[in-house]
Amino acid sequence: MKVRLSPQTVLVLDAFLEHPEDWKYGYDLSRNTGLKSGTLYPILMRLAEHKLLETKWEQSAPGRPPRHMYRFTSEGLRYTRAQSQSHTAGRLSEAASALVSA
Amino acid sequence: MGTPRRLAQRLLEALVTLAPLASREWAQAMLGELDFIRGDWAALYWALGSAAAICRHIASGWRGWLNRRTAKEDVQMNNAGKKAVEVGMGALSALMLVGCAFGILRIMDLLFPGLGLAHGWSRWLAVLVIPETIFIAGAIILWRKKGPVAAGILTIGLLMGLHVAVHLAMR
Repeated sequence: MKVRLSPQTVLVLDAFLEHPEDWKYGYDLSRNTGLKSGTLYPILMRLAEHKLLETKWEQSAPGRPPRHMYRFTSEGLRYTRAQSQSHTAGRLSEAASALVSA
Repeated sequence: MGTPRRLAQRLLEALVTLAPLASREWAQAMLGELDFIRGDWAALYWALGSAAAICRHIASGWRGWLNRRTAKEDVQMNNAGKKAVEVGMGALSALMLVGCAFGILRIMDLLFPGLGLAHGWSRWLAVLVIPETIFIAGAIILWRKKGPVAAGILTIGLLMGLHVAVHLAMR
């Protein structure tokens, strides 16, 4: 496993998966996932350190600090899709087992 | 700008200034979002969460460095050398604790200059009494399993105590 997939990490990956080609802001991710900054940023840091996310700075209006933006790398997108598929397959097989045993 | 937002701004600016290079970019990222947060209290909660995230990032960097170092030393060093490294690690941990206490006191003094936290009894409490108590408790807990680390911690505790005693005697 490349990164520890806590429920919060899965939430963040799902948020990126909605529009994988778009750059996203930290605060928008926080609002979309419902995660506080103290939870969200360690996840973003970990994903960026594992090269699953790329980052860039966006220049804001004069007098305002620049904003940091995040997007999947191609490796990150591949990894997340693979994880998502295996998770869905796992859930399907659990459901099938439950049906058989019922 | 309300007081909570002003505090949030100051806290994040202090983090950008004080954070090590590896964490500074993230502190700047958190500061960059502050203007877009609606509500002063939400901004303050954002800054507090961000400060916790930066502290965790710094701590994980230190932990990684110590683990790498320990693993490397394990292979290369004989028993006596290993013990010396453990004493050093204990001393280093104790010094980092004192450094953190001093840093927090400085940040609090920057954020709330009116309280005068960097002077008087609060300074002694933060940089002497609390660390010394932690050193003694830590040394007792570690003594059986990690004696050399406990010895390193106690050494720094003793040196700090001596330093304060000399300081008081000279006044």
